[in-house]
Amino acid sequence: MRALVLRELGGPDAAELGDLPEPEGAHPMAEGGRLLVEVHAAGVSFPDLLRSRGEYQMHPPLPFATGAEVAGVVREAAPGTGFAPGDRVAALVHWGGVAELALAMPQHTVRLPDGMSYAQGAALYLNYATAWYALYRAHVREGEAVLVQGAAGGVGTAALEIAAALGARTIAVVSSDAKERAARDMGAGDVVRSDGPWLEQVRELTGGRGVQAVIDPVGGDRFTDSLRALAIGGRLSVVGFTGGSIPEMKINRLLLRNLSVSGVEMAVMDTEVPGTVKMVNEAIQALAMAGRIRTLIGARLPFEDSAEALRILDRREAIGKVVVDVRPNGAGPA
Amino acid sequence: MRALVVESLEGPDAVRLADVAEPEGPHPRADGQRVLVEVHAAGIAFPDLLQTRGAYQISTPPPFVTGGEIAGVVLEADAGSGFAPGDRVAGMSIWGAAAERALAIPKFTVKLPDAMDFAAGAALWLNYSTAWFAIERAAVQEGEAVLVHGAAGGVGTAALDVLRGRGARSIAVVSSDEKERVAREMGADEVVRSTGPWKDEVRELTGGNGVQVVLDPVGGDRFTDSLRSLDQGGRLVVIGFAGGSIPTVKVNRLLLGNLTVLGIGMDPFDRRFPGTVRRIGDEVAAAAAAGQLRPYIGHRLAFEDGAEGLRILDRREALGNIVVDVRPDGAGAA
Repeated sequence: MRALVLRELGGPDAAELGDLPEPEGAHPMAEGGRLLVEVHAAGVSFPDLLRSRGEYQMHPPLPFATGAEVAGVVREAAPGTGFAPGDRVAALVHWGGVAELALAMPQHTVRLPDGMSYAQGAALYLNYATAWYALYRAHVREGEAVLVQGAAGGVGTAALEIAAALGARTIAVVSSDAKERAARDMGAGDVVRSDGPWLEQVRELTGGRGVQAVIDPVGGDRFTDSLRALAIGGRLSVVGFTGGSIPEMKINRLLLRNLSVSGVEMAVMDTEVPGTVKMVNEAIQALAMAGRIRTLIGARLPFEDSAEALRILDRREAIGKVVVDVRPNGAGPA
Repeated sequence: MRALVVESLEGPDAVRLADVAEPEGPHPRADGQRVLVEVHAAGIAFPDLLQTRGAYQISTPPPFVTGGEIAGVVLEADAGSGFAPGDRVAGMSIWGAAAERALAIPKFTVKLPDAMDFAAGAALWLNYSTAWFAIERAAVQEGEAVLVHGAAGGVGTAALDVLRGRGARSIAVVSSDEKERVAREMGADEVVRSTGPWKDEVRELTGGNGVQVVLDPVGGDRFTDSLRSLDQGGRLVVIGFAGGSIPTVKVNRLLLGNLTVLGIGMDPFDRRFPGTVRRIGDEVAAAAAAGQLRPYIGHRLAFEDGAEGLRILDRREALGNIVVDVRPDGAGAA
């Protein structure tokens, strides 16, 4: 089968469209056996870029196909996977996504609502599950104000949509006009600029009180100001460090204002609290079915040009998910 | 009237028993409501030590009367304060308690259960409300394991006492044989030594998983090991920094463990969510009235020796609570 293949950990330029054997057996991290998907669209994201250089925590042996997410149609499903041939699905696969066929992990696979395209499906699982769980851990409730850092990014835009669906008010932090447009398109209540006096603006927007929650996939220098932006009793969810640097916090910052800071990693939590991932999947599925999820697609490439996908990520060009149309929309199963 | 007076901000040695003017008007933090108490016993705790050096977040200029907690009998009470002359009460006064008469702060004051003597009353409000609030904010569930730092101290003994009524398993961290004895007396299920390989012992005691909750009134160098002692999804409550130094944490330590670090400060929380302090005080008083709480009084000092209580705290030798007998029990009004 054809796939976007890495034969060495040489970064984006090492990815080439080529041939790989069809996947056998089950995904090594699958719970429930073999789930083979005919890929219609694949999502390529930041972990794929890191993985192309050998810089990510989980790795398959070389050669492998890149692409952490897929949307498509189930071709084979072992009993116990909860899926059947013909099901339209969206899944996190970690790798192997930009290929004609991919192995999915049943525990990280959801049914794709009829109203959602495969391209949207390829942008669904990773960001929306992460954002939903981050909001859940921050106990975000109706009527609360939520500050979203990196609001035009994958987790950020997902957080904007889900927070709005929860009845919360969102304040997006972005760094450019184009990102501001993206955040507004995805329903941001207010938008502030990371290079401006955003902390003061957030205070003004909240009547001096601050926000009840911060969703932070960025980290870096602005972390302390994120803590300052919280109201008394406020909660900050640490999702990642796309800004590059890992913040340090002096613990007394939390004390008097009763702040809490939580690290958020859904899949790891599931090992200790089984059912975590299932709860997240069901929530995502329900929001998708209810039409509350639109997904933001920043670049869309035909399969032939998919080698460009990692380079687009490397140049930080795309606002939204980079999606590869493995089977052009409308084409049936091969 | 006689009182233990902080004459200048030079620590415990600048505290003298002296004659001072009778308290006038309401306590400055009492929302205008005057409640004057004939003090029988005064509690001396860590914030009092900090105040003798001007190092606490709430302060009043010297000369001032030390003593953050009072137990005694109401002499005068404004209508609407919720108290009446003759009421036996206990509560936090922030300062001013170690005197023949003191001003109470109604929201930080509870009626003293009949079965509790004044000395126990002077050890009730601050440490038990703090421990109660910390346990509530950490959402400790029955069956969970809770690591308590400074377990022989005021907040530590109160936390052990509260936890034993809740079906949680407590692991006390202490620094001496004497403190171990106190922790065991207060119901610690396990005791480890801060000077030994306590992190490894905690892992062993929890089947390798770690504890679900850490209550930390100490701070300092052991903070990182406290985080390492937490189970997936674990919560660490920052209560204070009796160890002296304020820890710094790299935020990625929280990420993969799904850890939460939260600060507690009752007074600011109450300003934002009025009624919190009243509710907690009432719950503590109800538990005390039901005979569920037994404050540990490790040091009981005559009025004229009261400054020694501050020195005990300064040497980090305090066992449980320190109480000054302003009026020996049973004595009536002066």
